[in-house]
Amino acid sequence: MELNLDAFERFAVHFNKGSIIFCEYEPGDAFYLIQAGRVQISKIMGEIEKTIDILHPGEIFGEMAILEEAPRSANAICLDPVKALEFNRANFEILMRGNPQIALKLLKLFTKRIYDQRRRFMILTLDDTHAKVADVFLMLDESQSGAKPESAERVFYTTPGDIGHWAGISPELSREVLTQFQTQRRIEIYTDRIVVKNINEFARFVNSRRKKRDET
Amino acid sequence: MTYKANSVIYFQGDVSDRIYILKAGRVSLNSNDIETGEAVRDYIQTGEFFGVKSALGKYPREENAVALSDSHVVVFSVPEFEQLALSNTRIVMKMLNVFSNQLRRLHAKVRGLLAEGEQVNPELGLYRIGEYYMKKKEYDKALYAFQKYLTYYPSGAYHQDANKLAQQAEQFVSKYGIGQGPGLGNGGAGGAAGGGGSEAGSGGLGGGSSEGGERNAQLGPVAKQYYAAVSSFSQGNYSEAMKQFKTIVDTSEDREYVVKSMFEIGRCLYSLGRYDDCIRHFTALVQRYPKMPDLDEALFYLGQSYEENGDQERAGGFYKKILSRSGVSEPLKRKVNNALRGLEGA
Repeated sequence: MELNLDAFERFAVHFNKGSIIFCEYEPGDAFYLIQAGRVQISKIMGEIEKTIDILHPGEIFGEMAILEEAPRSANAICLDPVKALEFNRANFEILMRGNPQIALKLLKLFTKRIYDQRRRFMILTLDDTHAKVADVFLMLDESQSGAKPESAERVFYTTPGDIGHWAGISPELSREVLTQFQTQRRIEIYTDRIVVKNINEFARFVNSRRKKRDET
Repeated sequence: MTYKANSVIYFQGDVSDRIYILKAGRVSLNSNDIETGEAVRDYIQTGEFFGVKSALGKYPREENAVALSDSHVVVFSVPEFEQLALSNTRIVMKMLNVFSNQLRRLHAKVRGLLAEGEQVNPELGLYRIGEYYMKKKEYDKALYAFQKYLTYYPSGAYHQDANKLAQQAEQFVSKYGIGQGPGLGNGGAGGAAGGGGSEAGSGGLGGGSSEGGERNAQLGPVAKQYYAAVSSFSQGNYSEAMKQFKTIVDTSEDREYVVKSMFEIGRCLYSLGRYDDCIRHFTALVQRYPKMPDLDEALFYLGQSYEENGDQERAGGFYKKILSRSGVSEPLKRKVNNALRGLEGA
């Protein structure tokens, strides 16, 4: 699908390599469609800046700003000189009517975001901290696309802090729970990765907790 | 395709790329509420799509779709749906509306659950981003965050620190370059002073909680006056700020602070809505100090003032002039581009 964007040239903005397009917590009122260059999406967690995603031409970011003028949830930084089209709520409709391809793209992005948010919500509504942590691994496993390996062992390149972030608990508590899992030989914790010995076991554990809640 | 009453069109957990429109009959989507676990039934109206999200998003169906009476549905594959959507934008717009509402509700729910734990207030969050980049010696990014802070929270709890660190970041980036120099903290103060920095006592953030008064004690008298004026401006007391800046211009011999203060007087005039005075002031200033550090900003205020006065042609002229200059800061470029776009739209 070739996007014909000549008509939108007046929405074009340029950024130098290394510059910030927006940063976390900044109120947002615009979203962007990359036309040239790569954009790094990152979040500062404690003393490190974590890359969440690297986006390429044709991709959209900052789209939550169309829904509400909430603070940005991450930084967007240019890895190259970047050219992007900048849209806000006011010119959004014009764009959508004039360019249904972008509208469709956005629609697909929203389906993904809805799924991600639902999934996150489901983790947070578990009332048992261990189940929350186990469910984060299930979510990460679901999002690893492609064919699933034969064995039930899974490797996740993640940290206790990240797991805690997704589970909505403090890094300390996350570490504590993970250490208990390790003592029970359900997982192995390394500096750069966590190995889950049997993902199906976690699935059964989480499902039983969820069922218990639904029955009460 | 026709489904008999009580037959299942798809099951929860199925993965499929089929999208449906109900032509005739009654269809219900049955699921359990993700919050309460209660059974939920959504009835599909004739003419309505269903199965769109999971098909487009390539994830498992979230509900059972059941025909309640004999029902006739039209089935699309994802590529067929896309073709249809491209020729009928209204469908997409409508769905975008529905999806964005769902997403907004979900966001609110997730936020609600996180409320007790990890939520950071955005004002402090933004300030800390600046601090983080300052520490990492990425002064350009620190400057961006502090400038944003000052834009959105001009009288916020950290506006004095943000103001000072923003100036420091600006100095460091030209003096040391990114990745070099003292970064943030005690080294920062020493570095600035040792390098013969014109800012007296850029105290770093070492004593983050120190009172404004205490910090001002380290500053030279002019700097102290200047920051007091900046502080008035931040709090929206433009008349008071203007008086204070004028005092500096009239009494100080420190040329740097005089020029800075003259620039600020222009901003005060603009903020007070005195656009004619603002234009006169900045025009004179630009002619007198063609190499002043804030020249680009001054040109921007000229453009803005002309725009406020309804002189779009002159406003556009100034905006374009800024864009033709080299070394214009990125945030300003964006503001100028936005302003130009605004003019085109008008």
